[in-house]
This record gives sequence, structure tokens and C-alpha cells, in this order.
Amino acid sequence: MLNIENLHVEVEGKEILRGVDLVLPAGEVHAVMGPNGSGKSTLAHVLAGHEGYNVTQGRILYRGHDLTAMEPEERAREGIFLAFQYPVEIPGVTNANFLKSAVNAVRKHRGEPELDAIEFLKLARDKLALLRMDEKLLSRAINIGFSGGEKKRNEIFQMAMLDPQLAVLDETDSGLDIDALQVVADGINALRRPGRSILMITHYQRLLNYVVPDWVHVLVKGRIVKSGGKELAQELEAKGYADMIKAAAA
Amino acid sequence: MMNADSSIAIAHDRFIAIAHDRFAEAGTPLGGVRLPWLESLRRDALERFRRTGFPTTKVEAWKFTNLAPLARTDFVEAIAQGVADIATAVVDGYRLTPDCHLAVFVDGRFQPALSDLGRLPAGTRVVSLSQADEADLRLVTAPPAVDDAPSARALVEFNTALMQDGVVVHLGRGAVLDPVQLLFLTRPGAAPRVAHVRNLLVAEAGSSATVVETHVGLGRGVYWTNAVTQVVVASNAVLRHYKLQAEDEAAFHTAATSVRLQRNSAYRAFMLSLGARLARNELDVLLAGENGEARLAGATLARGDQHLDTTLRVEHATARASSDQDFRNVVDGRAHAVFQGRIRVAPDAQKTDARQINRSLLLSPAAVADSKPELEILADDVRCSHGATVGDLDKDVLFYLRARGLDEAEARATLIDAFVGELLDGIEGEPAQAYLRRAFADWTRKGARP
Repeated sequence: MLNIENLHVEVEGKEILRGVDLVLPAGEVHAVMGPNGSGKSTLAHVLAGHEGYNVTQGRILYRGHDLTAMEPEERAREGIFLAFQYPVEIPGVTNANFLKSAVNAVRKHRGEPELDAIEFLKLARDKLALLRMDEKLLSRAINIGFSGGEKKRNEIFQMAMLDPQLAVLDETDSGLDIDALQVVADGINALRRPGRSILMITHYQRLLNYVVPDWVHVLVKGRIVKSGGKELAQELEAKGYADMIKAAAA
Repeated sequence: MMNADSSIAIAHDRFIAIAHDRFAEAGTPLGGVRLPWLESLRRDALERFRRTGFPTTKVEAWKFTNLAPLARTDFVEAIAQGVADIATAVVDGYRLTPDCHLAVFVDGRFQPALSDLGRLPAGTRVVSLSQADEADLRLVTAPPAVDDAPSARALVEFNTALMQDGVVVHLGRGAVLDPVQLLFLTRPGAAPRVAHVRNLLVAEAGSSATVVETHVGLGRGVYWTNAVTQVVVASNAVLRHYKLQAEDEAAFHTAATSVRLQRNSAYRAFMLSLGARLARNELDVLLAGENGEARLAGATLARGDQHLDTTLRVEHATARASSDQDFRNVVDGRAHAVFQGRIRVAPDAQKTDARQINRSLLLSPAAVADSKPELEILADDVRCSHGATVGDLDKDVLFYLRARGLDEAEARATLIDAFVGELLDGIEGEPAQAYLRRAFADWTRKGARP
């Protein structure tokens, strides 16, 4: 599904990713863990195609095609979804109008007929029920007046609507209390399915108690320094990142 | 600067000469009879205009808007009275709803045959200025509701001297008129024309009305609409006054609306300004009675070389009144948007609640927005706030939308839609809101054309 090879990325002239290699097979859930400043959010943004993130070396293969020259909207239409760490607030645009445009942009790209208002509403209701979310969400302006937990749940709802092949979840657990974390994790689990790959980017291990990954990568100073099974996350939780940082510096 | 000022002086002399010719001709006076007080008032207005001339950018209230291009143009007065040869279908294209009460003006002249005023509800009167009674004429020629320097008011004086026609909308006590449309159509001619339109809206105690005022040009060409509108909202009356300025892109549009609000009355204004090469929308509101409420909002959509100015003067003369100004600009190309908003709170206007916000979205590097708030608060127990922002579309927000599959053009359009749409949401009454939404959608579509 996703094959990152020797990826170097600069932000405002500063090298943040310094040769990342990562393979995420179809249908698997991988976690990328790392301390603050290790390049986790850069990895998420560069996968989604943010223009401020400059790929200087290496490539990102998504289903065999190099992503690096693609616009953000092309990536989205090809099935890549980024759940933002800080979802933006957009006054005056309702979730329903926005999602209808987004869903239809993706459907059009796939050669599927666009949904009319009634079909869209039916799909939205199904997904809201699946995630046990309130229908009122649809008529609210995007993330305006939402709590931190509601914003993150809205991201998961958007993911459900857009039906991606590859979902990148950037610190989806940050800023959530334990109840909200449980709800968001249930949502992610409900969306796990064969063929869909999920890359969870997180600082803490606690989300991984609820959404159990197939594989864990540790990102330190712009490089993957260690990869392993889910027990690696527990090891990090117990010992912290200190040893890894030391090893990376050596 | 020198050139502009000297050309204004020459133009000014020419206009004065035309005005004197007009007075000498002594055609049909307003109201059908000679009213000595009115004639002397008009001569005085002309004299004041002669003294001040067109405002230059040296006049504080006009420092962002240069009238030199208007003053340099040789205008002839719009054609004399007569039936305009315009198909009903053309009128229908701009009509608020197929069955709304409708007063149509062509080149500044009332057109009974194109209008639809046969089913007016009891207690309401909608007539042309030529049928105004003396009391109407006194109200329509009252000085502006809020003070400013005489040099700032030259166009109002000019209108007073040369006004020929306009509309009187009069609601008796408790009457309801919802909605009525005032449709001003202009046909650009071989020579640039000017129409000095003069209107009066009176809502007596306890009445309620929605007035939609539309200005459009039928075809390409230079002309000038110079409108002055007097509004009186008596106690417990509600007036919703929505204006669409969609003049031709070669036209000039100057308008001064002056509103007097009495006890417990409400005035809700929305101005959508998207036409004309140069437009100036002035709105003066005097809160003269306790618990008066003025809710003023508007969107200016400027592109190409347009220069669109909105100038407000809100005066709290009494305690416990509230006013709210929410004006937004979308500026593209080399266009220029101006917002000036004055709030004055008189010394004894305690418990005043006055708010002002002006936000500008600049869509191109050459677009300009000027914003000038002016607060003069002489009472101590008040709540007043103002704010202004100017910026481009937020890059992070654009990325968010694109990361969900919208292309850049769709993402930009979505955000511009939302920026203006939030204001349109505040328009009361489905027909008026839908009408202005359509006008906005047309503007957006026109911009999307290559």
C-alpha cells in the first residue's frame, strides 16, 4: 500500500526527515511513535501533500505510484486520508455541504455517479450511526464551537464518509480525556477492514491499548530507529524515549 | 492631484450652469404645484453646491474616494418623462418574486406601466415623487439625519437642486407591506446620463415592511445614479431595507441614505454592492428614541478596477439604543474597497450598545481595502466595540479542504461563499434572502468565467 524510501523533507529550509524508510502493507495498522520534534507531524503532512513540506530526496510510493508530485486533492481522490492533529474551524461552511462536495469529488474521480442530497444524507446517517454520533453534526459549521473530542470525532466521521484506502491519523489521541479517547478508538476500530491501511502517528502508547497495531515504528530525529511488534509500544511506555534518542545520537 | 482638482472645478462650473438652465426652464414642479419653500430650498442647495463643489480627497469623509473620474465626465440629464420601451420580461429578470409589489424606474423616471402596485394592502401608499404631498416633500428634503461637514454633503445638495423623480413608500399606523421592490433600471445611452433619484420611506407607528431596492444597468455604458433616500421609522415600527447595487461596470453610483429611528423601532439594512466602476454607499442612522435598534450589514464584492466605498455614520442621541455594523469586503484584481464607520454616542446616551466589525478578504496582490473606524463616545456607561481585519484566504484552511478532495478553485470558492454567506444568513424574509443569494451566486459565476 505505502512504501516510503529514503525520504528527506525540509520545512522552511530545515531538514526534518532525514531518510525515512517505512513499508505499510495493505490491510495493516501501523503506529509511528516518537518524541516531540522527531518529525511525526511532518511525515503526516508530507503524505497529504502540504506545500510547505519540501521533499528533497527519496520517494513515497502509494499503490505503486510516486506521490511526491501530486496535489493534495489528487491524493485525497486516490484514497489517502489525513486526520489532522489540529482540525481547522471554518465558519459559514456546514459539515454537510463540505462533505457532500468532498465525497462527490472522490466519487467522480473513481468514475462513480455523484450522490444527490437524499443519497448523501442516507450515507451520512449510516456512518453517524456506526460511530454513534449525533446527526446535528451535519448542520453545524465545520468544527465551530466543537470541543477537542468532537473535532477528533468529526475527523473520524469524515474518514468514514470518504472511505479511504490509506488513513493517516496524526495525533488523533492528543488532547482527549479517557472517555473521549475510548469513543474515538471505537470509531477507528469500526473502520478497520481488509484492504484498508492505517498509519497512526502518536506520542503516547495509550491509544494503542484500544487500537492494537500490527507493527510499531519509532521515529527519532527524522529517522526510523527501530521497528517491531506491538510490544515495542509497551517497552517505550515503560522506558521512555531516552535510550532511543541516545542511540540515534551515537 | 493638481490635475484632478482643477478638472473637478471645471466640471463643477459646467454642472452649475446646467442646474441654472433647469431652474430657468421651470418645468413641472415637484408635487404638481409651485411650493415657494421648496423652490427656495432647492436654490439654496444649489448655492451650497456651487460653494463647495465636488468633494475632493482633501475632504476627510472622502479621503479614500476620488470623484475626479465622475467630475470629468460630461453628463446629460436622463431623458424627460415618457414611457420606457422595455419588455416586461426584462423587468421580470430582476424582479424579487413574480408577485411582489413593484415600483419600476427607468433612467430615474417612474414607469407605472412596468410597475405592479395595484394590490397594495390597506394603509400603505407607494407613489412616485411627482405625486408626493407637501408633508412627504418636507420629509424627503429634510437635512441628513447625522451631521457632517457641508463639503462632505455636496452630492446630496446637488441631488436636492436637481431631483426630478423617485419613490415614496408610506406605511400608515400598523400597516404591513412585505415585500415591496424598488427597481431602478438604467439604459446607458450614446451620451452619459445622470439621474438624481430622491426617495422617501416612512413607517408610521407599529408598521412593518420589507423594502428591496435594486439598481441595475441594462447594457454597457457610462451613466451616473445619484440617489438620496430619507427614511423615518416611527415607534414600534420595523423596517427591513435591503439593497442590491448591481450597476453596469462602467457606471457611477452614489447614494446617501439617511435614517431616523424613534422609540422601540428597528431598522435592518443589508447592502450588497457589486456593480459600478465607482460606487459610494452612505448610510446615516440617527437613534433618536430609547430602545431603537439598527442592525446594519453589507458585503462589497469588488474586482477588476472597481472602487466601492461604504460610509456609515451612526449617531446614538438617546439612551438604551443599540446598533450593530457588520460589513465585509471581497476584493480581487486591482479593485479597491473602502469602509468608513463612524459611531458617535451623545453625552446622555447611557446604556448604548454599539458594535462595528469590518473584515476584508484580499484575493489578489493588487487588491486594496481601506478601513476607517471612528468612535466618538461621550457617555460613560456604554458598551462599544469595533474591529477590523484584512487578509488573504487562510492557507491552512485551504489545505484542509484540498486534503479532503476539493480542488483549489473549489476550496477558494467555498471559503468566499462562507465569508459572504454568513452575512446573507442574517437577512430576514426568504424572498429577500434568496434574491441576494442569487445575485451573489451570479457574481461568483461571472468571476469563474475565463
